[in-house]
Amino acid sequence: MKLLFANFTRSNSVKIGLSFIVLAGIISLLVGKQHIEKTNRSIEETARHQQEHIERHAKYNKDDLGLMLYYIKFSLVNHTPPLNALSIGQRDVNPSVKSVTIRTLEAQKYDADLNNPYNLLIGNIDFSFVLIFLFPLLIISFTYNLVSEEKESGIWKIIAVQSKNPLGFVLRSFGVRLFVTLAVLLFLYAIAVPLLGIAPDRALQAFFLVSVLYILVWFAICFFVVSLQKSSNFNAIILLSIWILLVFVLPAAINNDLQNRYPLPEALETTVKQRKGYHEKWDMDKELTMDKFYAHYPQFKKYALPEGDFSWLWYYAMQQMGDDEVSEQSAALREKLGQRNMTASRIAQFIPTLHLQLSLNDIARSGLDNQLRFLDETGRFHEKLRLHFYPKIFSGAPVASENWDDFKVEVFSDEKVLSQSGLYTPLLVFIVLFGALGWFIFKKRLRRL
Amino acid sequence: MIKNAEIHIAKLFWKITFKNRAVFILTFIIGILLAYAVFSGWENFKTQKKIRVMYQEQARQDWLDNPDKHPHRMAHYGHFAFRPKTPLSVFDVGMESFLGNSIFLEAHVQNPTNFSEAEFSTGMLRFGEISIAMILQTLLPLLIFFLGFRSLAAERENGTLKILMSQGLNRKQLLLGKILGMILVMSTLYFPVIIITVFLWGFLQEMSISMDETYRLLVIVVIYFIYLCIFCVMAVIISALSKTSKTALTSSIGVWLLLTILLPRAGQSLGSYLYRAPSKAGFQAQIEHDVLRTGDSHNPDDPHYQALKDSVLAAYNVDSVAQLPFNYSGLVMKEGEKITAGIHNNHLKKLREVYAKQNSFSRYLAFLDPYMGIKNLSMALSSTDYNSFTDFQDLAEKYRYHLAQSLNDLQIKHISNTARSSADPASMLDRKHWAQIEDFKYRPPGIGSAFRNELISFLSLLFWGLLLVLILGRLFKTLRIL
Repeated sequence: MKLLFANFTRSNSVKIGLSFIVLAGIISLLVGKQHIEKTNRSIEETARHQQEHIERHAKYNKDDLGLMLYYIKFSLVNHTPPLNALSIGQRDVNPSVKSVTIRTLEAQKYDADLNNPYNLLIGNIDFSFVLIFLFPLLIISFTYNLVSEEKESGIWKIIAVQSKNPLGFVLRSFGVRLFVTLAVLLFLYAIAVPLLGIAPDRALQAFFLVSVLYILVWFAICFFVVSLQKSSNFNAIILLSIWILLVFVLPAAINNDLQNRYPLPEALETTVKQRKGYHEKWDMDKELTMDKFYAHYPQFKKYALPEGDFSWLWYYAMQQMGDDEVSEQSAALREKLGQRNMTASRIAQFIPTLHLQLSLNDIARSGLDNQLRFLDETGRFHEKLRLHFYPKIFSGAPVASENWDDFKVEVFSDEKVLSQSGLYTPLLVFIVLFGALGWFIFKKRLRRL
Repeated sequence: MIKNAEIHIAKLFWKITFKNRAVFILTFIIGILLAYAVFSGWENFKTQKKIRVMYQEQARQDWLDNPDKHPHRMAHYGHFAFRPKTPLSVFDVGMESFLGNSIFLEAHVQNPTNFSEAEFSTGMLRFGEISIAMILQTLLPLLIFFLGFRSLAAERENGTLKILMSQGLNRKQLLLGKILGMILVMSTLYFPVIIITVFLWGFLQEMSISMDETYRLLVIVVIYFIYLCIFCVMAVIISALSKTSKTALTSSIGVWLLLTILLPRAGQSLGSYLYRAPSKAGFQAQIEHDVLRTGDSHNPDDPHYQALKDSVLAAYNVDSVAQLPFNYSGLVMKEGEKITAGIHNNHLKKLREVYAKQNSFSRYLAFLDPYMGIKNLSMALSSTDYNSFTDFQDLAEKYRYHLAQSLNDLQIKHISNTARSSADPASMLDRKHWAQIEDFKYRPPGIGSAFRNELISFLSLLFWGLLLVLILGRLFKTLRIL
């Protein structure tokens, strides 16, 4: 065993492979760190901006609360746990901060972040990329020529004759490689945890466990291919083809399919319709708008519409109609996004690479699921602000009566509990399946020279 | 010296390659993928086009349906610009999924471009998308490497190389013959496939293809051929330099991984690591800061607007704005729009410069990595690159500015200074004016802009051609036979 280990680690190609993966791993941690810093900076800037904004408008519009609230934005932050650095997921596309005024929500809810689309297209070198794309290549390069190399150089005859248990030799060879691979993984985690300040909690534990299982899946696949005992070249081509199938072709094909299966006309429909829903009220009888508004909020019936062309009560009732009249389309959009997410997770169970990416995103709170809950929370946040300010605006409360220091940036923390069996089972099935297949084929064929 | 030895070797290589059953299987798989790429790309194009055209018309209709109104209410009613999907996105989706599709155009505000596909995607999108371009850019080069790794290394291992040379063949003929053979094999796979794809695309478009699209497609067919030729030559060179066919294979795979997976990500990551782009909050705060400094139309005591007022009052020789012969608040808004739009465009320009710096690594990487060259070129020719997107954004902003200022002009001309507010029934403008402001129609730029923007990428492909010729020139003398 010791000899096997020394023999393996002494090889030049192994050294190159190992230093390469360690380098890529460290780069990925730096990329992750920068992502977290960028997010935190953005949150700080938002908080400062919000405070300045409130102060300035409280000064300019000190006699008009309705006008002041027309302008000022309140921000909600999607909490970014440090683990997010390891799996950036959709957090580079979707903003981690939502800033909204109390006007029509549907006109602001989906406001996009500023980003360079080229960065998004090429993709991050985050840790999940290193794990999902590069670790399998390392494993393939470690194992593709096991047995076949010995056969090609004639050593296998000696091993087969001398060893009572040639399968034991194969297993030990795999064991050594597995040990080294896991050691590298552990090493990267050992750097990541202090560097990124990741708390040693259940989330980290789950994150680590699925990574280990994923590595085992690839060892099982390689074990299976090696058990067929073809030539080294054949193994290399087959394993690389499996890799391409799992990291390129299948995920991309499924993504195309999902996009086509769930197109989202509701997005544009909602956005066009909310504009009309609000604006047409300017040209309608005020009573019509007020009746609808009072039906939505019976508690505000006590505020009667004042005389004159314009009042903030009427104005915010009109703005409210922008939301109320697209509630159906908005709900349909939300449901479709939920379906997209569900279908993706279901299909991913059968494709380990996809399953791992989606699981890591879920654990790190960077997937679509997290984004959808953040959007839902933004809706609740917006409603809370409305309910707080509506009565004050309608009763003509002075701007100074509000304690504006209370309006700091709020934080949404996604606490959804993930199903443990859902995380691990699909990977375990793959390990057992390929491991067992490889085992039986080896048992049957190993004696053959 | 054997006459036409290159041609003989090439023909032989072709014959041997196509005797291999595995080649048919791989080609078949790639063929199926291509067919899937065309159909799913087409499906996506068709659905998205339908949705966008429909709501673009709806948005215009809603605009036209407005009754008599205060013009500033119309300035806030605004319009939408939905980015039309280009037909060539079926060929190369490029950045499509990461680009926003909808901008709300209203007075005072430059709204973000929302609803990119990526915003509503699962983590799956990061594995990439299947398109014809993706298959030609990444999978075909690998297939070429698989077909070519044995070309010289295996013959050297078998000793057949020695025999060939002793029969009077020279190194140049041998190498050229093998390369020719590789290109022949590649062409047998590439041309039928690309011709079928192009026809399928045209057929799905019902053959309504513009001249510009035809040129674009022609250039695409040619540059992909050059790109694949580069890989054919590379495959033979790697095989020539490797001792055994096994090292040739592993080196080829290594080169392929480096070119298509690692270098692109490394280059872009380095670019975005070195040049920090501002956050949205930071970007907006900067703009607001500049606006406040230049003149804030919302501040009742702002010096810029105070000066404007004084000069206007002096010019018309009156003592209050109510006595002016035109609508004064319209004038203020016109000035405000000019200031904020100018400042916004300035900051946007700076932001894009940061992005351009981030992307410059990927751009110049093309000299190291032909994959980046073809990627940038192909996106530009398919109008799915960043420049096509900013062109749309700029035209939409131009339209927004025009819309807002036209309505300000209407207000200045037609609305009385004594109107109490925009809800005042006395300050309504006849609805006939709404139709006079023309609809937003986006016309994408012609193929010329793609050439101008991607000059570097063109040069990089040329550079690669030259580089490989130089390496071959050396190998003509130094190729090891044993």
